[in-house]
Amino acid sequence: MNFREILKFTTVADRVLFSILILLSLLGLIFVRSLIPGGNSVEIDVDGNLEYVLPLDEEKTVPVQGPQGTTLVEIRNHRVRVVESPCQNKLCIQQGWVEHGVIACLPNKVLITVGKNGKRSSEPDAVTE
Amino acid sequence: MQSPNRYQIALLSAYALALHGFESMFPSPVPWLRLGLANIVTLITLLLYGLRAAVTVTLIRVVLASILNGTFLGPAFLLSLGGGILSTLSMGFFASLTPRLFSATGLSLIGALFHNGAQLLLAYALFIQRIEAVLLITPLIVLLGTLTGTINGIVSELIIKNLKKSGEKIQNVDT
Repeated sequence: MNFREILKFTTVADRVLFSILILLSLLGLIFVRSLIPGGNSVEIDVDGNLEYVLPLDEEKTVPVQGPQGTTLVEIRNHRVRVVESPCQNKLCIQQGWVEHGVIACLPNKVLITVGKNGKRSSEPDAVTE
Repeated sequence: MQSPNRYQIALLSAYALALHGFESMFPSPVPWLRLGLANIVTLITLLLYGLRAAVTVTLIRVVLASILNGTFLGPAFLLSLGGGILSTLSMGFFASLTPRLFSATGLSLIGALFHNGAQLLLAYALFIQRIEAVLLITPLIVLLGTLTGTINGIVSELIIKNLKKSGEKIQNVDT
């Protein structure tokens, strides 16, 4: 089974769809970071609630309490990282230092965002209780 | 297209569950990279036995897998359920609305795209609640989904071709 035989039983629509998806996702990979504003403050959400707003230029280590335990967040040299986390896969730690964007630890429901002036760029229009 | 009996549904669900378990044994470099091998079974079921059978097999697979994993009714279960059902429905929709436009490979791509879309939306609604975080990972997830979806589609295509060539449907269970 070679490549040409495989290509033979795909339709034109298959190939168009494949190309569009690859193209859009590659463009997205390149440009999505520039769409997300860098900033000078760090916001930490636990379970969807904003718990901490900290300046990015102040060196600090914060223990954040999540449902599974303590996630230790370190701010230094205008960067943020997760030092310790109770989650199993430790992906948040592997992500290392982040200058802008997001570190998420889904198991412990901790979300760290580098934002602007403590002002959230996605303020809700209204909140229903 | 023939309508399947309950033994065929059980057998197909067992195949899907086995593939699901098999792929979860691989250490995944990133959590959102799943091969989606079970989707091969969903797609074959859809093309040989129709949408109803495919939805049934998906439901059985998602529920049993989560019970075996110990994640039943937990967040991972909701993501898995939403993704599985929406991807099956989307493949069924395109397979019946535009027959012959897409081959199994194109349908698998559609399934993967809707699977990822549903999971991102659910993750946004249930856990993340920050659109930036979702936007940041969307291109990567769509890219990986497109690659694994293509491979799964080609595998499904080959299996269906072989099943038709040898003139036998999926082996029936003796009763």
